Amino acid sequence: MAKRHVIVGGGTSGWNAITTIREIDRGESEIVLVSAENPYSRMVLPYYLSREIGEAHVFTASETRLEALGVETRFGRRAASLNPNDNKLILDDEEEIAYDDLLIATGSSAVRPQLPGADGANVHSFWTLDQAREVTASLKPGVRVAMVGAGFISFTILNALLKRGAELTVIEIAPRILPRMVDDTGAEIVQGWLEERGVKILAGAEITSIEDASGGGKILKLKAGADIEVDLVIMATGIKTNLEWLEGSGVEVNGGVVINDHLRSSESNIYAAGDVAEGPERVGEGKAVHATEPTAMQHGRVAGANMAGVDTAYEGSLLVNIVDVLDLEIASFGNWDDEEAEVIQAVKKDRPAYRKLLFEGGRLVGAILLGRTRDIWATNDAGMLKGLIQSGCDLSEWKEHLRSNPFDIKRAYLAVGAAETLLPETLLGRPSVPERDIAVQQ
Amino acid sequence: MKALKIVPERCTGCMRCELACSYMNTGAFQPSRSVIRVSAFEGHTSYSPYTCPQCDEGWCLTACPVEAISINSAGAKNVLDAACVGCKLCTIACPYGTIFYDPDQHTAFKCDLCGGAPACVDVCPRDAILYEEAETADWVGPFSADRAHGPGGALAAGVK
Repeated sequence: MAKRHVIVGGGTSGWNAITTIREIDRGESEIVLVSAENPYSRMVLPYYLSREIGEAHVFTASETRLEALGVETRFGRRAASLNPNDNKLILDDEEEIAYDDLLIATGSSAVRPQLPGADGANVHSFWTLDQAREVTASLKPGVRVAMVGAGFISFTILNALLKRGAELTVIEIAPRILPRMVDDTGAEIVQGWLEERGVKILAGAEITSIEDASGGGKILKLKAGADIEVDLVIMATGIKTNLEWLEGSGVEVNGGVVINDHLRSSESNIYAAGDVAEGPERVGEGKAVHATEPTAMQHGRVAGANMAGVDTAYEGSLLVNIVDVLDLEIASFGNWDDEEAEVIQAVKKDRPAYRKLLFEGGRLVGAILLGRTRDIWATNDAGMLKGLIQSGCDLSEWKEHLRSNPFDIKRAYLAVGAAETLLPETLLGRPSVPERDIAVQQ
Repeated sequence: MKALKIVPERCTGCMRCELACSYMNTGAFQPSRSVIRVSAFEGHTSYSPYTCPQCDEGWCLTACPVEAISINSAGAKNVLDAACVGCKLCTIACPYGTIFYDPDQHTAFKCDLCGGAPACVDVCPRDAILYEEAETADWVGPFSADRAHGPGGALAAGVK
């Protein structure tokens, strides 16, 4: 009998696991995909909000495409519980699905702080496609928007909101914007850049309630300072892993489902991937939840390979984030906030540009990059910084030079042979195949 | 599969490759739009061109959330402009720093080996860039080794 793989969650991890399984077995196994939503890419929702792309562009795996890959679907349904003793998944309509192995890829959800009015009318989250539809329907030129939260998720949609003509106020409870993506120096440069371009920013501001204004607007009451009246509130106040349904299953959970370097949970035939998984890190020995798109993709592929019977070890995930706001690039890598690390940093006088390099001995373990999009080196160096961290190449002898100019990363990269070190590395031990080229045997 | 082979020892830093590359890709001579870039070492006495090694992993290809990167007939990873939304995930996924972002078109761009007839190879007067059946792993090799000890070379200890 064919092996049956059950994939719970149709996001980036689930989809990459499916394509990897099919790339290997060409259709020999059974695959069942359970997904509450029709699969789409969260990463591109900001471009849907800005109307640069239509809604059709956001979907990754249509039912037709999944059918062509020999995948049975349960769309619009959620996993309710898991019974590893009998190898059964139970859905919210009580259907039981037996599996040989199963991938937990249920991702995460947006959360809002518990304050009065946080769930009221015209208060939105921006995480799912449905939520994106609601926000896009509410936007028109001149609309006053309060963006609550100044983290990565918030910043991915600032451009879109401004492009749609919103008047924007950003409110952050932490003392600085982007508290989990850049340091104080970086945050100050970004804040200055946004304020010069008409965005109001309140950092260190605590909202006590959100009330209805006469005439349909909203009023945000602050612990200190004047009320803020807007037409629309977007809450980008964090995410939480979707783990509730695993309660009582016996699968080991910490901040996420704890997985080993083969993406296996405490149950050897149950894998976890993406935002819901707490897995090995590339830098250091620890495990962490890295709720980012690149990690979700890599987890999905490595889990898929192991599920298809190809023994594949994972090197661990590296935290990388990049976002641009009004043509200012902001990126951070690895252990950018490591207080133990040796720091080399510089800002430019004549333009908003900042570079921070963090070393452990001769090895680069983290970095922050900030610069204008049209300064072409700003984005050029992003990949090289990632490559130097990933390769672990010894930069000892270039450190003094980098101390005098941390922006001159490229020559150091070439001289230490980073590319040569990296070239043999592949995630699955073989060349990657584009998803569009993967098909089952007829 | 044919690949670019770079012999930095032959490079004179004339930048023709950058001009040709940007012209092929944009119709204008603008080194900032070139996907092959020449770096100068040791006070402009030696140079190394550098571009996408068309790695087996295809970090850009697998990172793309909308399948906007494909493999063309020359075996090069290639950005499909109409599908690219400009999210830049590829630029931070690629550990070689060889996929770029075009701020005017709002799309990523990279070396596509000119579909199998790379312009940089054609214009190089010194055969510092070759297009031949080759492993991509031997790339900048000995040139790197000679410059691995910092911009001033390795200093011997104990010399006052």
